[in-house]
Amino acid sequence: MHTLADAPTDGRTWSDLDDFQAFIDAGGMVEPGDDMPDEFRSEVFRFIEFHANSELMGGLTERDWIPHAPGLRLKQIFLAKTQDEIGHAHLLYMVAADMGVKTRTEMLEQLFDGRSRFHNVFHYKAVTWADQVAIAFLVDAAAFASQRAVFAECTYGPYKRVLKRIVAEEGFHMRHGEEMLLRLATGTDTQRVMFQDALTRWWWPAVHLFGPDSPSGDTDPLIRWKIKSQRNEVLRQAYVQKYVPLLHGYGFDIPDNELHQDADGLWQAGSIDWEPLKATMRNGGPDSARRIATAAGNWADTAWVREALEQ
Amino acid sequence: MNRYEVFLKKLGRDEFRHAGSLDAADPEMAVMYARETHNRRAEGSEMWLVDRRHVLVADPESMAVNDQKPHRHNDGSRVAARRKENRNSEA
Ligand SMILES: [Fe+2]
Ligand SMILES: [Fe+2]
Repeated sequence: MHTLADAPTDGRTWSDLDDFQAFIDAGGMVEPGDDMPDEFRSEVFRFIEFHANSELMGGLTERDWIPHAPGLRLKQIFLAKTQDEIGHAHLLYMVAADMGVKTRTEMLEQLFDGRSRFHNVFHYKAVTWADQVAIAFLVDAAAFASQRAVFAECTYGPYKRVLKRIVAEEGFHMRHGEEMLLRLATGTDTQRVMFQDALTRWWWPAVHLFGPDSPSGDTDPLIRWKIKSQRNEVLRQAYVQKYVPLLHGYGFDIPDNELHQDADGLWQAGSIDWEPLKATMRNGGPDSARRIATAAGNWADTAWVREALEQ
Repeated sequence: MNRYEVFLKKLGRDEFRHAGSLDAADPEMAVMYARETHNRRAEGSEMWLVDRRHVLVADPESMAVNDQKPHRHNDGSRVAARRKENRNSEA
């Protein structure tokens, strides 16, 4: 017997990666106390850390727009959304820290030093209020789709359990996004132009969020271990099918000259330039430096709070 | 910082369920963080927080022994079989 705070010594063990794979294939779930293979621990940790960083950086952007949100209802919505996103970061950093690879402080310091990665969409500048609407409508929806596909299987128990809440809250953000979009779409010409401009800025980043095609066969360990349930290109394609008609229905243009319907009536995006995505993964996106510096500044400015709490 | 385990329950329904873990500097902060992270839309009406150091974890092997005690169950199949046998012998 031990307490939950002690490093567990009684978890399950596997003789090798094949043995572990057989456990996963039979529907097994991995728990923190298990003696999981090092490869699984480090890959899954990296994935959750990336997710946590993205929630935190996303939450900070939402916060920036609370004062600019038009009207009390939208200010309240943006407050709640900011809290939700920061909450997602809290949940995920806790799950990641419990994997014993890095502490939460190490993860945060590396993020603010520009040594970590986070989602591409948080490397771009939100120019007007309509960008926040495009982010809620397009980016929260893309995040929802990719997180739901992780939740669907997700063989790491603590991650699956927090994803349940995260996905549910992402659903609220998506619906807020559609409500705000409807307001702009049925508003004045200025409002429609504002949204069209924002859509032109955010369409490709949202499509990029799903990532390039997954490596062929079962060479992606996250798919093999059933952390991801879907290949990137499958999720991306489903997203395009859903959002092209929706945006056309509101009378907006999608900034893709090669976008077309194939013989089966499926929407096919034009060839995708992945260079902008790669730049964001090096923290070299259009707004990366400013965003990281702002987040690092917040962290430094609040050091006294953390110190006071430690007293 | 202490690490707490959070449990939630709806009044009059089900049992307390583990909702997650969090780090907090003191009990008062822990309760506030738990409310704002795990009970954002009143998912529970009662909440327990337990310092992780006070949660005892039983060894899985000590739990597994009770999986081999069929005499603690009764699915009624023996009675059904005996009844069927009696009916057949009467006929
Ligand atoms: Fe989120
Ligand atoms: Fe969101």
